[in-house]
Amino acid sequence: MENLTLDETKYTPLIELDAAKGVIALTGKSYPENTFEFYKPMMEWMAEYFRTVAKDVTVINLEIIYFNSSSSKLFFDFFDLLDEVKDDHKLDINWIYDEENENAEEAGEDFIEDFEDLPIKLIVKEE
Amino acid sequence: MSDDGMLAEVDSLREHTIVTLNKLTKDIKRQHKIMERSDKRQQREYDELQKKLQEVEELGKEIAQTQREVVFTMGAIAESRSKETGNHVKRVAEYTYLFAKYYGLPEAECTLLKQASPMHDIGKVAIPDAVLNKPGRFDEAERKIMDTHAQLGYDMLQGSKRTLLKMAATVAYEHHEKWNGKGYPRQLKGEEIHIYGRITALADVFDALGSTRVYKPAWDDERIFKMFREERGEHFDPALIDIFFEHLDEFLAFRDTLKDVVS
Ligand SMILES: [Fe+2]
Ligand SMILES: [Fe+2]
Repeated sequence: MENLTLDETKYTPLIELDAAKGVIALTGKSYPENTFEFYKPMMEWMAEYFRTVAKDVTVINLEIIYFNSSSSKLFFDFFDLLDEVKDDHKLDINWIYDEENENAEEAGEDFIEDFEDLPIKLIVKEE
Repeated sequence: MSDDGMLAEVDSLREHTIVTLNKLTKDIKRQHKIMERSDKRQQREYDELQKKLQEVEELGKEIAQTQREVVFTMGAIAESRSKETGNHVKRVAEYTYLFAKYYGLPEAECTLLKQASPMHDIGKVAIPDAVLNKPGRFDEAERKIMDTHAQLGYDMLQGSKRTLLKMAATVAYEHHEKWNGKGYPRQLKGEEIHIYGRITALADVFDALGSTRVYKPAWDDERIFKMFREERGEHFDPALIDIFFEHLDEFLAFRDTLKDVVS
């Protein structure tokens, strides 16, 4: 399965999907114009990955500084997807945020609350 | 289709509907949550942005203020080394603003010139004390040295990329040029002399003539006006002389408010 990388833009995060390493990483801001359209390739890649080549452990690193409300909805779908595969795959989910970014911290806490069965860890970023 | 088959289908439909409805319920609840959280987040981000914007604005103001102070201080240093005193620099600043305004320069440019013109004699900081502080008249050699202050000022300032300092460089360079081409250092003529130079030349002379100096009493107004009429199109840009007489009251008003205190 091929890796998928989308470069960071002014409104969208860097997306790195590495099937060989078993890493899913999102880094940056998320203000796409058409959120679901934008994330569709990622969601499809993930579904395919877990269906076929998933590693023993998949590491998911989310470092989202700012995001709009439809991105927030997208993240629910994202965690829903993980929620569905969590019994068959070992997941290592990290919600990474800057110490100063209260919003990102709170968003991470909210997701942990909403998806209590998912092993989401809050990671404070080192300066 | 048999009844059993139909029932099985209905069952499956029911199950499917329940799943769909559950998902819908979840989605609606979720949507509500998302909106609430997003609003809260966005409000906080907005506050943060406003705060940062304000900081940037204040920083900008501070930079501008610092620049004004530095420039004004430079002008004051220059004046302290020339034989002019008191509020000369401040008055020249105001006069150059008025000239620029009535000449039709854009407001921002007028304000910049007001800040730059006090530096016209900055080159005098590089003139040796022995010449600068010599009592009485300069001989020809000394006069030549004195006259280098225009070029010196330009050399000091021309390297800057700042609009204000670039303007000050022009002012320093050209404030002793004359409309008829008999000034210095480059004997520029007419509109070859930048408008900043032409304006500052007239403002500077107007103020110098009207002020009392160690070596001369202040000229009375009639004598100044007569000289200006004679030098219209000679020393000075005729358009600026016209502006001067047309708005004389405003020039005199500034002179009054910024009078030197007689000790
Ligand atoms: Fe001068
Ligand atoms: Fe002067």
